[in-house]
Amino acid sequence: MLKFEALTKEFGQLTAVDSIDLEVPKGQMLGVIGRSGAGKSTLLRMINRLNDATSGKILYEEDGKVIDVNQLTGQELRNWRAHCAMIFQQFNLVLRLNVITNVLMGRINYNSMLKTMIVMFSPAERAFAIRALDRLDVSAQALQRADTLSGGQQQRVAIARALVQEPKILLADEPIASLDPRNAQIVMEALRTINQEDGITVICNLHTLDTAKKYCDRVIGMKLGKMIFDGHPSELTDEMARDIYMGGDEEDEEFSAAITSTSLEN
Amino acid sequence: MSGKLADLTPEMIAAERERFPRVFSMTMKARATHFVLWVGTPCLVLYCLDRFGFFSEKFWGSFGRLGIMFSQMFPPTGWEYMDEYTYAIGETLSMAFIGSLVGGIIALPFAFMASKNMMPVRPVQFSFRRFADVLRASDYLIWGLIFVRAMGLGPIPGIMAIIVIDTGILITLYSEAIENIDRKPIDGIKASGGGRLEVIRFGVIPQVLPVLLSNALYMFESNTRAATILGIVGAGGIGFLLSDNIRAFEFSNACTIIIMIIIVVYGIDYLSKRLRERFIYGDRVSQGHDRPMERVMAKMKD
Repeated sequence: MLKFEALTKEFGQLTAVDSIDLEVPKGQMLGVIGRSGAGKSTLLRMINRLNDATSGKILYEEDGKVIDVNQLTGQELRNWRAHCAMIFQQFNLVLRLNVITNVLMGRINYNSMLKTMIVMFSPAERAFAIRALDRLDVSAQALQRADTLSGGQQQRVAIARALVQEPKILLADEPIASLDPRNAQIVMEALRTINQEDGITVICNLHTLDTAKKYCDRVIGMKLGKMIFDGHPSELTDEMARDIYMGGDEEDEEFSAAITSTSLEN
Repeated sequence: MSGKLADLTPEMIAAERERFPRVFSMTMKARATHFVLWVGTPCLVLYCLDRFGFFSEKFWGSFGRLGIMFSQMFPPTGWEYMDEYTYAIGETLSMAFIGSLVGGIIALPFAFMASKNMMPVRPVQFSFRRFADVLRASDYLIWGLIFVRAMGLGPIPGIMAIIVIDTGILITLYSEAIENIDRKPIDGIKASGGGRLEVIRFGVIPQVLPVLLSNALYMFESNTRAATILGIVGAGGIGFLLSDNIRAFEFSNACTIIIMIIIVVYGIDYLSKRLRERFIYGDRVSQGHDRPMERVMAKMKD
């Protein structure tokens, strides 16, 4: 179980994440929605410590052991990062390396520095990487350079890289914001499948309401760094959505759920 | 499959190896390349060293003489010639400055002609590239010798040599910068109805200007170093005094000159590095009209 206690992140004057308390049980698929700049990405990036919290706690509890994420350093921090894999809006593959090497990057934490430097991975790891690619239907491209793939394929390779990390948590930072509707659907379904088959906790930042409603067990809404909604997707009324997406200077504008949605239904 | 690496059986691994043999092991060709690189290169280096006599008594014995030379360098002397030295250093700097400035400007139009994306007529573009290659093919000293023969001793042949090489290198560096620009802003200008010149003015120049300036400044650094040795062939600058003193076994005078060269070159490197950083990472907020040259001038001032 992942637990935030009064988690706060400040960038100078700006409070990007404002005192968030939250518990995410193991195996949940959690959607985080909100406008650009609401603090969704910062929240995610604090979990794997790409950004450090200003104050508050992130605790991970499993088998009676508690990890205080903010206190991790060195090897322990790298182990933690391997255990909460991340996928990004821009996929963040190493474009000049081939697909299989990109996926094997997910194993670097499990191997000695010397071995990874000369790309020496065991046959089992290589087979594991191919099977991860198989699962996302991109194994045919295993030996191609990553920059020859389309955006949707690249994101699937990124998910395969995350999978071979054998993570406990999968953080997805706007995974479909750069994809067309068809690829967005494939990627979201892959995340959902991984969540259900492997029991991996998925925390997913999303721009669009209907995607969150369709795929997530639970949705939280963020606005100006604060969490203003936490509940089952079905509880997310138009009223609530208006609150999350509107406010301040745009009060008068007519809100329609259609604005915030790219429908994934065929 | 649901994912645990530990659940993989040897049969599964073998099956994947069957499907994707190249994921598991390199091709024979790749193996041969690796072998040549990792075994062949060191062998070649050792062979060359041996042929040049690096493993001979003569080479290892010469370190003693080198030590004596260095010991004779200290303490540095020749302070009474300071006026002469300072004048020569000033000449060196002026040569580098004029040569870099003129070369940097001449290279600009040529660079556009030598860029694939700006000059669609391939043979023309190609010949400008080769022209640049010819200019930079030989070293400063060779051009220096040629110009000394034609123009006599003094800083003028030195400046000419710097202009030629600076132009040659900058045509290549500039045109590579121009070829690597992002197409998107160009499409943006074109889609707004812009013509060829407007595309260059607004789509290309703002993108490449910081890189061009940075390259030109880098060449100024490099030219300053070159100007310190051009004197050896009589093409002006401090190099003449340096080689003269070394030939006359005046190592302690030479040491003073070397120290002065180091200080000046270091100063120029530092200044140029600071300026280059400003051009590339300078303020991101434009003040009113976007006039790149004014911005550069303003930066030069403060």
